[in-house]
Amino acid sequence: MTRWLLPGFLGVGVLATLLLIVGPALYAVSLSFYDMPSLTADPVWVGFAKYAQVLASAAFWNALWNGIVYAGLAIVLQVVLGIGFALLLNQNFIGRSLLRGLAFLPYLLPTVVAVLVFKWMVDGSLGIVTILMDDWGLPPIYWFETETASMVSVIMISVWLWTPFVTTTFLAGLQTVPGQLYEAARVDGAGPIRQFFHVTLPSLRPILTVIILLRGVWMFNKFDVVWLATGGGPLGATEHLPVLSYREAFALYDIGSGAAIATLSFFVLMVAVAIYFRVFPMEQGK
Amino acid sequence: MSGQIRPRRIAGRMGLYFAAIVLAVYSAFPIYWMIVSSLRPTQEMLMNPSLVPQRWTLEYYTSLLAQTDYPRQFLNSLIVAVTTVALTMVLSVMIAYGVTRQRIRGKQMIIAGMLYAYMFPPLLLAIPLYAMFSVVGLNDTLLSLVISHLTITMPLGVWFLWGFFKTMPFELEEAAMVDGCTRLGAFLRVVLPLSVPGLVTVAIFAFLLSWTDYTFALVMIGSDANKTVPLGLASMIGAFDLRWGDVMAGSTLIALPLFAAFLALSRYFVQGLTAGAVKG
Repeated sequence: MTRWLLPGFLGVGVLATLLLIVGPALYAVSLSFYDMPSLTADPVWVGFAKYAQVLASAAFWNALWNGIVYAGLAIVLQVVLGIGFALLLNQNFIGRSLLRGLAFLPYLLPTVVAVLVFKWMVDGSLGIVTILMDDWGLPPIYWFETETASMVSVIMISVWLWTPFVTTTFLAGLQTVPGQLYEAARVDGAGPIRQFFHVTLPSLRPILTVIILLRGVWMFNKFDVVWLATGGGPLGATEHLPVLSYREAFALYDIGSGAAIATLSFFVLMVAVAIYFRVFPMEQGK
Repeated sequence: MSGQIRPRRIAGRMGLYFAAIVLAVYSAFPIYWMIVSSLRPTQEMLMNPSLVPQRWTLEYYTSLLAQTDYPRQFLNSLIVAVTTVALTMVLSVMIAYGVTRQRIRGKQMIIAGMLYAYMFPPLLLAIPLYAMFSVVGLNDTLLSLVISHLTITMPLGVWFLWGFFKTMPFELEEAAMVDGCTRLGAFLRVVLPLSVPGLVTVAIFAFLLSWTDYTFALVMIGSDANKTVPLGLASMIGAFDLRWGDVMAGSTLIALPLFAAFLALSRYFVQGLTAGAVKG
């Protein structure tokens, strides 16, 4: 018993990794080499035909570009807002712990709920935002009708939902910066802005590198916000790779193309991550 | 101290409180509005609504619970989330403990595999899983959803507990084994009790991921009887007769357990996030 406990645990680990991660991923890649009109029909080997077809379609490049715009803008806004919120929550004021709790709340909400509440608040006749804008004499915004507005809407929902991740992790980092560094900077005559750029940011550079990497990966892969808010519309204006992949596989029943798009989007992500590591090397030995 | 600094300090404090109020409204108003909209009578909703309802009602909650599939969906969500949490904890404890304590080559591959799983696009897992479940006849079952959720929650559990067990000194178990414990005994009586904070964090985030998941449920579940709450709520958007009061009541109910958990266990949430153990 004693001798077999650890190997047994590791055996479970290998098995679970193979079944849940390696197996499905390899199967997905293999599916992309077959034409399968339905799951009961016999799959036909087509080689790289699905990839050729996908890469030749305008929809793929449109989706890739939309994904870069969506993920890029969402990350920049999350990081800038999150750092700002963290700096605020690191000050001393009455009600600080309550506010730290409130600022975390959006992160807990299911995506579906965030999208529904946003749709309700901007509802054309009864939404509180629509009513307030009307009261203040502002022209109405058609949040999901025009191409630009739809992209802005899905970015806004995503930023609201996931900024708390940046706020919380950056705030935890801020609390580890030694106070003497700020003392020294103050003695040297640095104001708050110089202190931020010359003390805070350099000290938190490792944390920030990880935050941006994680958020970048997740925003690029995020499916549900866009699917629930716009379904990729109008006219493909918000369709990114996850939505395109889903539509091919489950709306057009072309499993092979769906798998090919998912595989390609994973490769794009790997290349982006590799470049990111080159530009912002992680600390060694972690 | 000196006369000129005072007004500047007061202006600074006012700016600080102003920013704090902006942050509070930005973060909490949509949630407040969701709750208020679920409690405001229909007639009042149709008129120009005030920030605080003049009258309150539970009509949406009663109609949601009595006339829709919501209770069934809530139960499905609960079954899936609780099963996912239990399996995630068992698997990730075993794997993380094995990886940190056993000296063999290639075990880093497991950890590397977990990291790659972090970066998989959801459809890269959902498409093959869907195809596999159809072949073995598991499609459109709650079990298929549990297995799908494990593909995300297990990597995060292993990743987090791996960091946790690494920092726990081997001498603890060795001392217990010198005192006559078996390895299993040392694991159960010494290691596990000391890991409770890490286990709580893993349980929280596994629950959060499973409870809020929409993507896998959309792919795996087809029948009304097996829908989870996120899926059920989403299908209300497309309905012909959209009742916002019902939708907001359903949204409030699904969010409440998460808010309650956060209130009781907020430091574990923060700990989990800062360890980077979370996918979202």
